[in-house]
Amino acid sequence: MSRTTASDRMRRVLAVVPWIVANPGRRVSEVASRFGLKESELLDDLGVVYMVGLPPYSPDALVDVEIDDEGRVTIRLADFFSRPLRLTPGQGLALLASSDGLLSIPGTDPDGALARALAKLGSALGVDSENASDPIEVHLGAAEAAVLDQLRRAAGAGSEVEIDYYSYNRDAMTTRAVAPWRVFADAGHWYVHAWCHRAEGERIFRVDRIESLTDLDRPAAARPDDAEDTDGIFHPRDDDPRVTLELQPQAAWVIAAYPCEDVREGDDGVITATLVVTAQPWLERLLVRLGPEARIVASDGIDDPGGLAVDAAERILARYGPAGDRSP
Amino acid sequence: MNKLERLLNLTAVLLDTPRPLTAEDLRQKVDGYPPAGAAFHRAFERDKDDLRVLGIPLRVERVPATDPPIDGYRIEADDYYLPDPGLDPDELAALHLASLTVRLDGLGEREALWKLGGMADGPEPGPERPQPDPASGAVTSIPTDPALEPLFQAIAERRVVRFDYADRQGGSARRTVEPWRLDFQRGRWYLTGWDRVREGERNFRLDRIVGTVEQTGEPATSTPPPSPGAQPRPAWEIGDEETVMARLLVDAARAETAARQLGPDVVTEPGRDGGTIFTVPVARHDAFRSFVLGLLDHAEILEPAAWRRDLVAWLEVVAGRRQLSDAASGGAGR
Repeated sequence: MSRTTASDRMRRVLAVVPWIVANPGRRVSEVASRFGLKESELLDDLGVVYMVGLPPYSPDALVDVEIDDEGRVTIRLADFFSRPLRLTPGQGLALLASSDGLLSIPGTDPDGALARALAKLGSALGVDSENASDPIEVHLGAAEAAVLDQLRRAAGAGSEVEIDYYSYNRDAMTTRAVAPWRVFADAGHWYVHAWCHRAEGERIFRVDRIESLTDLDRPAAARPDDAEDTDGIFHPRDDDPRVTLELQPQAAWVIAAYPCEDVREGDDGVITATLVVTAQPWLERLLVRLGPEARIVASDGIDDPGGLAVDAAERILARYGPAGDRSP
Repeated sequence: MNKLERLLNLTAVLLDTPRPLTAEDLRQKVDGYPPAGAAFHRAFERDKDDLRVLGIPLRVERVPATDPPIDGYRIEADDYYLPDPGLDPDELAALHLASLTVRLDGLGEREALWKLGGMADGPEPGPERPQPDPASGAVTSIPTDPALEPLFQAIAERRVVRFDYADRQGGSARRTVEPWRLDFQRGRWYLTGWDRVREGERNFRLDRIVGTVEQTGEPATSTPPPSPGAQPRPAWEIGDEETVMARLLVDAARAETAARQLGPDVVTEPGRDGGTIFTVPVARHDAFRSFVLGLLDHAEILEPAAWRRDLVAWLEVVAGRRQLSDAASGGAGR
């Protein structure tokens, strides 16, 4: 923990003093808890405040802090600190973004206390939504409200559900019974971290790829003791196949989108990176999407990755008709 | 003398004064400064910096009737005080819960909640002081970007900004923009606004803004259009190209998956063999091509014809039927 500076304490004082001025006679313990402070911190701050005032610093020009026998605190003669300091643009933005993010979760009450708070805060900050144009829009990810809600309920109640799931990596549909543990959003998508009976292991599923969901009405299998909360989406194994690609600068999104090992960037902006291959259809799709922007440098545990890409490209080209006749 | 005490006294004096006070006035009025000279100057400069970092709006004005002019300082009450948003306890509690559930680090959210009155009443969690539900959790953490704060300020003040924006070829260009809206989607922050030079609505990715955002101080004149609404927009809709309507045929087997990714607002019509034709607004050709290729042989671009040719050229390179340079000259669409 770093040392508390005068500026840190100043932030506290300028927020706490106005509240005490407006709410006289509250207990020190209550004020401390309200602002998440230790009582000793609050008392230290108040000890400084009552030496503050205006010249000539005579008793009638100093802030009057009084703490009675029962620990009730009152502040008088602090007109200049009777109202809190404005929010900085960053603070206003953070509150609006958190609120808008929470409101964007499908199934959140659009007219509840949070929505009212957001509207009031927006107008106090001078960014109220004229013409229905909101200054901040936070989308945590697309999901069907009913699916998300059922998953969160199952996670909360410790029950199991059956899902029809589209696996993008394998380009296939499967049906599986899962015990959801935690529902979270990351990088624009909703995920559920769950125990999967079909895989007999923990898995992370993308909520928008769950095509349908049925409540199984049975308690979830006990969560293994060694199961950890994961914040990452994917954990590669040592024996997973790997492919090393040389990526042009415009294909740099790949290293942000997928877990990469051994990333090197040359002076010309060309990036060399090793990717873990979870499934062949995934690799074939990635190579087709990257096209001329990527070149395979090496591969391990996978035969002829270049051939996969050529086959996939030919299959797609066949849709566009024989060469020379490419009309729809 | 305690530094906190001096900063509080300085702020009180600056708020109280109706006219600008010189450094020398402040040295005499505020307890705790060293005698006039270099030591005082250093202490005063540091204090001014501290006030600015705290977000205290210190005004610097010429002291009337001084020649040569002398700088004076004061704080205007209207700049300093938070306009009371009039939050009810349940609304304050809801904001608190939101900040715990959807976190943005490094922007001072905790201090912001202090300013609004701390946590709602009661030391114990209860309906007034909710805790995030452990299963649904601290649902997510949103990354922040150095450009967020200056852009938000410009939106609030309705002023024009200027910044260098990186293109996909490794260069960058100066853009002059009337900022309308900040969107967080697909894990990234975007700015939507009116591009004054290109005379149109454009989207910018904040992580591609190079260097700092310049506040021009010029008032914005455009009217922001209504927000697109609750649905996140797909990557190919958020670009700095002019919007083109593309027609895409998707097989029955993948039509539902594609429909979910394309969003509810695209126009559909039946296509051959039970497939679906989607009419998609595209402002980023490369992102759209990437999406279409992700559908493998389950999809086909019908229009525009140039994009169809571009896709074929692209695939012919992958299939090794044609060289990279042919594809580039064959009109890779950029």
